[in-house]
Amino acid sequence: MAIKVGDVFPDTVLTYVPYDAKNPDACGLPQQLKTHEAFKGKKVVLFAVPGAFTPTCSEEHMPDYVKQVDSMKSKGADLVACVASNDQFVMYAWGKQYNVKDNIMMLSDANGDLGTALGLAQDGTARRMGPIRLKRFAMIIDNLKVIYIGVEPAPGVTVSGASAVLAKL
Amino acid sequence: MTIKEGDTFPQVQLKYIPFDTADPNACKSPQVLDTKKDFAGKKVVVVGVPGAFSPTCSIQHLPAYVTKIKELKAKGVDLVVCVSGNDFFVMSAWGKSENVKDNIIMAGDANGELGRATGLTLDLAKMGMGSVRLTRFAAIVDNGKVTHLAVEPDPTDVTVTGADNILSAL
Repeated sequence: MAIKVGDVFPDTVLTYVPYDAKNPDACGLPQQLKTHEAFKGKKVVLFAVPGAFTPTCSEEHMPDYVKQVDSMKSKGADLVACVASNDQFVMYAWGKQYNVKDNIMMLSDANGDLGTALGLAQDGTARRMGPIRLKRFAMIIDNLKVIYIGVEPAPGVTVSGASAVLAKL
Repeated sequence: MTIKEGDTFPQVQLKYIPFDTADPNACKSPQVLDTKKDFAGKKVVVVGVPGAFSPTCSIQHLPAYVTKIKELKAKGVDLVVCVSGNDFFVMSAWGKSENVKDNIIMAGDANGELGRATGLTLDLAKMGMGSVRLTRFAAIVDNGKVTHLAVEPDPTDVTVTGADNILSAL
């Protein structure tokens, strides 16, 4: 039941705290992002991590996207976004730690709606991480259609990494 | 079914990442905090917050507990625990950004176990923050018994759950 290449990306509501270039230390007001409205007509790179501030996500996954986001945009990506099951304040703080500014949109799926709609959620209760966490994956979504999907089969970063995505753009 | 003063504090296992004084940037292995075993024979202040890194929690609530830790300990508090519906990695990172060091145990209740056991939950699904979050509260737990419980009537504010109020209640 998990989403696959050729499917239409689901229409769900995510939240985020926008980056304010004029006031980078301010914690802005959370905003809603409706995926169909925000992604329509665009080429979107979306990568998901099981947890902000966790070792693999912070050391192996996020930094490469920060390094390669400009290359992705010059290869036609209109929007690069990171999503996790953490809430929008946590995602904002994590993005700040990586100095993402407004280069990568830090999205929250704390209600688990996206994970459930994609069929890419996992139960983290055994590790005390909550019942609905996103798996590690990366997607390229072109005008709402999924054209690439890489779901990490094991711990570590391969098909969901920035280099893998860049090669597919 | 909400916990009240006089009740025994429920037994749940929460996880936290201990602070390493030798290497403050290290991410140590998570430890389990058992709210029955680890609270036995101790006077504990438990502070519940809706969200790590969120404005009220970061500006108005946690910092006062950090600055008043010596006063809390001088009044007989053995342990201060801050807990939220975030996971323990997030709590550890938040603790680092608030310079908590090893003064406060930053515990995560991502499974919602403490929330459900105490009834002190907040449904923040409308804000996109999940439906089983902890509300803002502060409790004094003396040898496992809740001797003082303050629940913020408006969780976006800090009044009865603030460090000064808890100090007065000790």
